[in-house]
Parts: sequence; structure tokens; C-alpha cells
Amino acid sequence: MADNYSITLDIKRYDPDTKKTWFQSYKLDAGRILRFVDLFRRINNEQDPSLAWGSSCEHGQCGSCAVRVNGKPLLACELLVENAVKDFGTTKFRVEPISIAPVVRDLVVDLEKAYEKVHRAKPYLIKRAPLPPQSSYYQLSPKEIERYEDATRCINCFSCADACISSHKNFIGPNAAMASIVRLMDPREEEKEERLKLLYSEEGIYRCHSSKACSFVCPKEIDVAHFIALAKEGAFRGDNGE
Amino acid sequence: MNATCNKNRLEASILSGLAKIPFVSGYARTYGWNYVLSWCHRITGIILVLYLWFHLYTLSSLHTPEVYNWKMGIMFMPVIVFFAWLSSIPVIFHALNGGRLILYESFGSRNDESMIRWTLYLCFIYVVILGILIFMENQTVSAVFFWLVMIVASLAAACGVAARVWKSRHTIFWKLQRITGAFLLIAIPAHLLFSHLNPSIAMEADLVIARMQNWFIKIVDVLLALSTLYHAGYGLFSIAEDYIKLRISRVVISGVIVIVSVIFLVVALKIVFTI
Ligand code: SF4
Ligand code: FES
Repeated sequence: MADNYSITLDIKRYDPDTKKTWFQSYKLDAGRILRFVDLFRRINNEQDPSLAWGSSCEHGQCGSCAVRVNGKPLLACELLVENAVKDFGTTKFRVEPISIAPVVRDLVVDLEKAYEKVHRAKPYLIKRAPLPPQSSYYQLSPKEIERYEDATRCINCFSCADACISSHKNFIGPNAAMASIVRLMDPREEEKEERLKLLYSEEGIYRCHSSKACSFVCPKEIDVAHFIALAKEGAFRGDNGE
Repeated sequence: MNATCNKNRLEASILSGLAKIPFVSGYARTYGWNYVLSWCHRITGIILVLYLWFHLYTLSSLHTPEVYNWKMGIMFMPVIVFFAWLSSIPVIFHALNGGRLILYESFGSRNDESMIRWTLYLCFIYVVILGILIFMENQTVSAVFFWLVMIVASLAAACGVAARVWKSRHTIFWKLQRITGAFLLIAIPAHLLFSHLNPSIAMEADLVIARMQNWFIKIVDVLLALSTLYHAGYGLFSIAEDYIKLRISRVVISGVIVIVSVIFLVVALKIVFTI
């Protein structure tokens, strides 16, 4: 395994003032454990301060650094140079913004717009079940949590929405659908009907065709398609004539 | 032990073979094989819709037997027969992959890898069997006997799926898509099989007409026409709903799909009841 790689990044640029889009090539010598966000930062420092990109936590926890590398949506803060070379079998990478929302500049997309769908899915308990008598908290059994624990790891990076075969034109999106499904599975949620209405609407599960690209690309390794399939199967109270 | 080794070697060679297909393998590496299969499902679906319309158009010339016989003269040219055999690949793939999706979505079968493998194995077996039958030519199988068996099997599959999805909250259209899908999963490969078991019966208008006058065959034909046209129409509608942003455009396209489907249904029913 090499210690250094000569990397070429072809980055899709967008200038909102001129509305021009183009690919710009940057060549760098990079150590094997540098991450793609480190490469972007180095480009800023050494070659081109005008390149815009997004990141926040840089620890795979906020989802703000999602980009497409050679077509695959992923977290730039998690992608090491050596893994990229190994996985893609090349040292030349095409880097583009994810397609789920309008581009603000270069690799930065309007996450507010993307989050509108998540907000519509209400990723919180709409109506809490009353607390058990003489208790100040809810107690969930490990078995109950196990059913949906995986889905709670979602960081809303929108990689799944970007990869989805159904496009994100009319689909609320895999992550937003899953956000609602998690609360349907949560015994503390009493407002099932509103959630089911959204899931069984034309922008809900009818737009999912089980292509499973969501599960394939999810950086948190969540089997997103499984949760959506649970909804299709009628696995929750109220969606199977109960 | 040896059998397992051989099986694994066979599977590895199939997978590495698939991984060499340019373009497709790139998508598989980026989005997974399920994604590639889903695109194949969509593309074969569209091919089959076009083929269905063409097939009904060809059959409509049964009203003028000379025209039909002339068309069949072309259809049974060896090179066309070869393409007919190749065309069984999208048919069986769409059928079996659809079955896999129904199992995944409605029956909780999440063992994808083995389901994908079985889909591909069964496709291969079917295409080979069909090839052998084409090569062996006329087997003179009774149409009523063949269809009695196949329709019972198709209806059983449809009822199994109906029992599972009927009470769910899904729209009636979604449910019917799955139910017709299960029916066609057996009925369409059977339809193809039958035409290659008895090519001489399909070749001459008089023989086709004689077969179609049997009341049981009429029921089979009506079931086939209704289910294929519904399934095709909903499939197209679903694709339009996925990719067309503007609501008004989606409504117009849905309207066009309904009108075209009804026109072809009238054509199909006219063939069945006026022949
Ligand atoms: S499900 Fe996975 S890919 Fe989708 S938004 Fe959440 S973390 Fe990202
Ligand atoms: S910067 Fe937070 S996930 Fe990458």
C-alpha cells in the first residue's frame, strides 16, 4: 500500500452570480489517510480559495459533507484517500454536489430545502402516550428498541435520497419516510394516523420500488429499504385493517 | 462439501462474469445489484408494454386471415424465431424479478442475495427450455389441457398475493398491480411456452381462429388481456409519477395511458368475441 498518492479531483463548480457550471481539475499529492474534506481544505489553502464545500462535525455525525464521488453519494469526511483508490480502482475522482436540492455554490447545496421533506415527516413524537402510572419516564424494552434502533442512527445526509431510483422529484425520500416509520414503531407515539396518511400518499411508499440503492449507499449502514418495506407490508398497527 | 465448493465456485464465476459487463457493473458497484435489477425491471417493462401493443395489433388482423397468414409467414422466418427466443429473456426476467419484489415487499423475504440468484438461475433455465422446445418444433399439446393447468396455477398465485395484500391500507390500484403481477408471473411465460410448443397452431389463421372459438380459451384470453393491459398501464403510470414533476403533466399523461389502455382492451375484446 502506497504512503502517498497522486490524486486528481475533477470538481463540479457552480457560480451563482454568472450561473455558470464547469468541471475544474485539481492535482494533489495526498497521504493515504487524508480524508476528502482534508483534500478540499488543502485546495482552498494551496490552490484555489474560491472552491466552496460544506462540512461541520467532520466525524460522520451531521451529514453536511455529503457529495458524489464518481457517481456515488458519500460523506467526504469519512472517505480516506486509500479507501477511495481501492474502492474506485483509480486515482482520478469526479466530485459533484448531491442532487437532492438546488446548488448554492460548487459542492454546497441548499440543505434547508432538502430538510423541508424531513420536517414534513415530523421526526419527533407528535402525540406522546401518557406516562405509565407513578412513573416519570417511559421504559422501552430492549426487544422493542431493537426493531427500529438501526434507523435512529440516520444523520440526514440525504445520500439515500440522492441514489434513489425514483428520483426525489415527487418522493418524500427514503430518509424522511424512515423518520416517520421509526415513530410509527415507537410505542410512545400515539399519532399513527397522520403518519400513515403521509406514508400511503402518492409521495410516500408508492414511490419506492425496492431498488435498495438507499441501503447500499447509506454511510451509517442502515437497511433503509427494509424499513420502507415494513410499511408496505403493513407491519404497523392501523395499516393492515387493524 | 465438494458440492458446496462447486456451487460457490459456480456462483463466484457467475458474479464475476456479471461484474465484467461494462457500464452495468459500474452502476452495480455504485448503487448495488438490486438497483441494476430495478432498472432492468423498468426497461424490460417498457419493452413488454410496446410488445403487448404490437402483439394485439398483429392479432387484430385475424379478421382478415390472408393478412394474418402473411404476417405469420414473416414471424416464422428462422431469424425472427431466433429474436422471438431472445425476447423471452425480458419476459421471464420481468416476471421472476417481479415475483422477487412481491416476496420482498409483501411477504417479508429479506434474503435478497439468494432471491436474486434464484431469479437469474430460473431465468436461465426457462430460456434454455424454451430454446429446446423451439428446436424440437411441434409438440401438439392440447390447448385446453395446457391452459387449464396454467390458469389454475396463475389464479392460485394471484389469490395468494390477494389474500396477503387485500386488507392492507394500500390503494386498490397498487393491490391490483401486485395481484395481476402474480397472475402474469405464471400466465405470460406459459403463453410464450405454449406458442413455441405448438408453432403450427399459431401460424395459420384458420387454426388460431378454431382454437379461439373454444369458450374456455376465450376466458383465458380475456383474463390475459385484462391483466396485461392493467399491469402495463399501472406500470407506465408509476414511472410517470416518479419522474414528472409538474402535476398537470402527470394528470395528462395518466389520462393518455388510460385512453390507450382502453383502446387496446377494446381491440383485444373485439378479437376474442368477434372471431
Ligand atoms: S438513511 Fe443513511 S443515507 Fe439516508 S439520510 Fe440517513 S444516514 Fe444518510
Ligand atoms: S462533516 Fe459531519 S458528517 Fe461529514
